[in-house]
Amino acid sequence: MNSIIPYLIVGAIVFVLGIFTIVYKKNAVGILMGVELVLNSVNINFIAFAKFVDTGIHGQIISIFVIILAAAEAAIALAIILNIYRMKATVDVTQLNKMKH
Amino acid sequence: MTASEILKMMPLIIVLATPLITMLIIALHRNHLTTMIVSVIGLVLAIIAIPYSKALDLTKIGELLIIDNYALFYFLLIFTATIAIIIPSYPYLEMRFKGNREEYYLLILTATLGSSVLAASTHFVSFFLGLEILSVSLYALISYLRQTNEGIEAGLKYLILAAVSSAFLVFGMALIYSQTGKMEFNALMQFFSNSSKLNLISIVGLVLMIVGFGFKLAVVPFHTWSPDVYEGAPAPVSAFIASVSKGGILALLFRFFSQYDVLNSKPLFLIFALLAVFSMFGGNFLALLQTNVKRLLAYSSIAHFGYILVAFLAGNNAQNFKGVEAATFYIVSYFITIIGAFIVVGIFSTREREAMSVSDYRGLYWRHPWLSVAFSAMLFSLAGIPLTAGFIGKYYVLASGIDNQLWTLVIILIVNSALGVYYYLRIVVEMFSQPEEAAETKHPSPSVGVMTGLILAVLTIALIWLGVYPTGVIGAIKISVMGL
Repeated sequence: MNSIIPYLIVGAIVFVLGIFTIVYKKNAVGILMGVELVLNSVNINFIAFAKFVDTGIHGQIISIFVIILAAAEAAIALAIILNIYRMKATVDVTQLNKMKH
Repeated sequence: MTASEILKMMPLIIVLATPLITMLIIALHRNHLTTMIVSVIGLVLAIIAIPYSKALDLTKIGELLIIDNYALFYFLLIFTATIAIIIPSYPYLEMRFKGNREEYYLLILTATLGSSVLAASTHFVSFFLGLEILSVSLYALISYLRQTNEGIEAGLKYLILAAVSSAFLVFGMALIYSQTGKMEFNALMQFFSNSSKLNLISIVGLVLMIVGFGFKLAVVPFHTWSPDVYEGAPAPVSAFIASVSKGGILALLFRFFSQYDVLNSKPLFLIFALLAVFSMFGGNFLALLQTNVKRLLAYSSIAHFGYILVAFLAGNNAQNFKGVEAATFYIVSYFITIIGAFIVVGIFSTREREAMSVSDYRGLYWRHPWLSVAFSAMLFSLAGIPLTAGFIGKYYVLASGIDNQLWTLVIILIVNSALGVYYYLRIVVEMFSQPEEAAETKHPSPSVGVMTGLILAVLTIALIWLGVYPTGVIGAIKISVMGL
């Protein structure tokens, strides 16, 4: 494909889906998947821009860092979610409401 | 990479090496005290390396990092603050946590590394990398006391919101990159200063980035995570989030916009001014309603970042960096006070819970005169009472605002300072009022370790010294800001 538009459309769709997932999911693992979707939409954008705008490969390099980050974040997030499950026997984030104003 | 570049980066390299060495030591011999001492030694070595690094002429390390006087100043601030947080963490963890305590220091050190990379970055890649080293370490630190409900809850809340805000930030970066094809701050600011080339996509990108900044700095309306996280995190970690993590991001914010005339650019000025006004009013009004000391400090820190944004608006390059100078001094005084305040909260925590309610501090003066005097000094400084560092900081911020005729912001700042005095003094009054009869049994008197006491004493003295004789520090800040 020689036009940037399809890449942008796919990126935007994935971004919006990710945000909706984060907002509407009650399951902590589901929210984590939403975050991954958003980060991947960023990756699509960066790689598309690296191809069409930049003469170098900056976009591709930063997308590798984003992938690494997503993995690190998933590891820590799953560890925290595991502890929540151990304590409350549920991963529903609406149950996490001990602290209030 | 040449030898002199490596020498120039020495403070960063030492801070990077310390967690690695600590990790090896933990593998060989797991001991809480050893780990703490090794990490403090690492940070002290990094501080010792700073003057040597300063003596070298070159500043730019590749495309990603710039180690100028400004970055070195923030390194010094961040490393010193981390030492002041690590040492009181030792008795705190001994008392409150029964698992493996040693990894806490690894996480704090990596977070410090992330924060100092932020202070030195001039490129989107290093910016993103520094930010994520910092945030990912913080996720684990916040939920470190994993047997408590609050810790886990705070950790998950911070994780979700920080991940979303990073996603916004990096999406903004992608949009800006699409228009410029560049990721270096200087090149970007040249692009943004040339208004004829601006279009919708690049402005949306910039706004998304400001949303990301706002989340990390916890300014209204992106503040909702901060009270819960401050309350749920262990007290030393709350101190770390309030000081080191936000300090690194502010350093980056100043550098990012250093070549851009924010004061005379309509849309950007409006955005930051609104953030500042909302944060000042929002933070102070919500703090008025609080009876929980940690949440109160969280809301007050929201307000303080509103004040700092006023100074930030009051000028960078075009105004001779007067505003950045004032903001940096404010950050120094804010670091001292907020770390001191959280150390006191940590000292009063018991095995079961932290001393969070204002009534826990009732009659403190009659049981612990010195502690209550130190805590009062911290609160006075946060309120901006004369003879403390907070007063000079606020005066400086006001002066820079008046220089640039930001009258509305200045008046709002003054009104808010008056509001702030009320809720800080409420804690002080509580401390100096007579305790009830049964108080002794209700609050078992804590023991203050020698090192923790020493840190607290040094912080209090620094606070008053900066309030009486700020010239030396201001001179150092002037020199460091000049090269920005």
